[in-house]
Amino acid sequence: MRILVVEDNSDLARQLGTALKDAGYAVDVANDGEEGHFLGDTEPYDAVVLDLGLPIIDGISILQKWRTDGKDFPVIILTARDQWSEKVAGFDAGADDYLTKPFHTEELLARLRALVRRAAGHTTDSIDIGGLMVDNRSARAYVDGMPIKLTSHEFRLLSYMAMHVSKVISRTELVEHIYDQDFDRDSNTIEVFVGRLRRKIGTDRIETARGLGYRLVDPNDLTKPDKKS
Amino acid sequence: MGNSPAPQVNDAPQQGGSLVWRLVRIAALWVIPALLITAAALIWFYRVSTYKYFDDPLVSTIQALVAHVETDVISGDIVLTSEPIDPRYQLALSGRYWLIGRLGKDGMIKAIESSPSFYGASLRLKPGDIQAINSRKGDVIRAVSVGPDKEPLRLAAQSVIFPGTNDKAVVIIAAADRRPAMATIRKFSFTALGLMSVLALGLVFAMFMQVQFGLRPLFELQGRVADIREGRAKSVVGRYPKEIKPLADELNVLIAHNKEVVEYARTHVSNLAHALKTPLAVLVNESQSYDGKLSDIVERQSEIMSKQVSHHLRRARAAVRGQSIGIQTPVFETLNNLSRTLERIYRDKDLDIDLDIDDGLVFNGERRDLEEMVGNLLDNACKWTQVKIHVWACISEGMIEIIVDDDGPGLASDEYETVLKRGERLDETTPGSGFGLSIVNDLARAYKGKLKLDKSPLGGLRTRLLVPSIKVV
Repeated sequence: MRILVVEDNSDLARQLGTALKDAGYAVDVANDGEEGHFLGDTEPYDAVVLDLGLPIIDGISILQKWRTDGKDFPVIILTARDQWSEKVAGFDAGADDYLTKPFHTEELLARLRALVRRAAGHTTDSIDIGGLMVDNRSARAYVDGMPIKLTSHEFRLLSYMAMHVSKVISRTELVEHIYDQDFDRDSNTIEVFVGRLRRKIGTDRIETARGLGYRLVDPNDLTKPDKKS
Repeated sequence: MGNSPAPQVNDAPQQGGSLVWRLVRIAALWVIPALLITAAALIWFYRVSTYKYFDDPLVSTIQALVAHVETDVISGDIVLTSEPIDPRYQLALSGRYWLIGRLGKDGMIKAIESSPSFYGASLRLKPGDIQAINSRKGDVIRAVSVGPDKEPLRLAAQSVIFPGTNDKAVVIIAAADRRPAMATIRKFSFTALGLMSVLALGLVFAMFMQVQFGLRPLFELQGRVADIREGRAKSVVGRYPKEIKPLADELNVLIAHNKEVVEYARTHVSNLAHALKTPLAVLVNESQSYDGKLSDIVERQSEIMSKQVSHHLRRARAAVRGQSIGIQTPVFETLNNLSRTLERIYRDKDLDIDLDIDDGLVFNGERRDLEEMVGNLLDNACKWTQVKIHVWACISEGMIEIIVDDDGPGLASDEYETVLKRGERLDETTPGSGFGLSIVNDLARAYKGKLKLDKSPLGGLRTRLLVPSIKVV
């Protein structure tokens, strides 16, 4: 899962970046409205944390531009403006949630999780796929109740595939959603991570669709509707 | 100013009587004496001219008598050779008399010759008249007396010395009943006074109408100002005479200035508060990621600071509330936007918010304030309700009444007051837990409205908000 944080206070941006990385997200930070808008426009984020009072372009205008351009990633507004008129304006501009400063980091993380899973069509934070449990709240995974040790990149990969279980996900899409902007992208490393992940959760849980990408499946589910199609 | 009371200010102008009546009183002050003097002058002239015509025959009678008097050479007695021919002098007590005689000591005239109409009686003159007759020999003197029939007489008298009478003066008098003359003068006086009274009333009434009409632009201005205060207009419009136009212009400047001041205060206080909130968030977050005494202190103090900031921001916002004039906010649109927003915020709850809003409701105040009040009420309802929220809005007691019902757990009736007062004490405030209701209460009171809590027919809490409405005229 990859998150964009648009926040002009550099200390707060750093704190948010750290907290989100610790929670298992890939994070990009923009310090002004122009950079924020550009990143949101060009990168496929799974969610955006957006401040309203930003240099160059204000948050509401950025959000309106994104929505006009058809960007439908969930956006949570994080602002000091706590009046209902401002909340209404934020939601009308296309926000999905609204959190006022000062805030508790846990609250922000909980709301982000809710936005991301809602966007993927899940109702709970933990996803169970035939004995493989991915808990996004604690950023951990279990196989048959036993915790497995994952690096942060491995967890992001697993979490993203779990969100889109049974769907074929291309290498490019995976790269875009598990690495932040500054990471040295080499699609070979995806194969390395998938290989490591297979060793940890079971080889048959990740199928390779040749030339297309990967798919997380439930090995005990014999119907496998997607395989026939 | 309609029927809403003007805002009470300590140094409010005192009621100084009506300007219209003041002008009418001033008019009456000169119109009435002027007309009285005119009436008096008219009556006096009429009286003078009436008596002049009245006196003419008397004077000619005296002249006729003088012409026909002869002196007996031997006895020195006076002999009248021919009497005046007017038959009324022959008729007893006819009201026309003549007399030739000598002045007695007691004012009685001792008649030498007199008209038969005297019927043997004589005349008594006032001492003043006798003196005038004696001192102005040869002049015709006018005087009044009482006739033989007790009728009031007007008389002309002349003292004449005939040759051969040893310089003994005789008085020749012609008299007539003056009642007919008095009657015409009285009649004229009544008529004149009556006409003058009608004229005075007419003038004062005309003055009243003139003032009413003349001051109409001023009354219109008053109406326009009331429109602004009650939110029906944004500034003073219309054509005004050049004496009043500066006043209207000044009012518009004042209104614009008022808006600016309110906006300025609001903007700067909220800018300061918002500028502080982000650093506070940084401090709280940072301190939470470290253990130890320093981070404890930083966290605790930052929490206190952020509560202070919120508290004073709220106070400052409340202070400028209700001061901005001439602002209208449509109720339906505002409530509709809010309910849409809340449905998104609480989308996991799958709420059913019903809006039941009368047409044409317009709140007399800032949109953001209405949003703040109703937003908090709805937020509270969304937080506690299970599924159903019903919102009603209508006119009640001349104000807009907004009712929010939920089917949540509700509150015990003895908790109502505590919940509404929670915002007054900073140290008791904790975010959430009905804190929003005290904000609504403060705001409603700033607008001279109120917030009441009750049991909802849906089972939960009912909040009733009363806020000022634009008066539809």
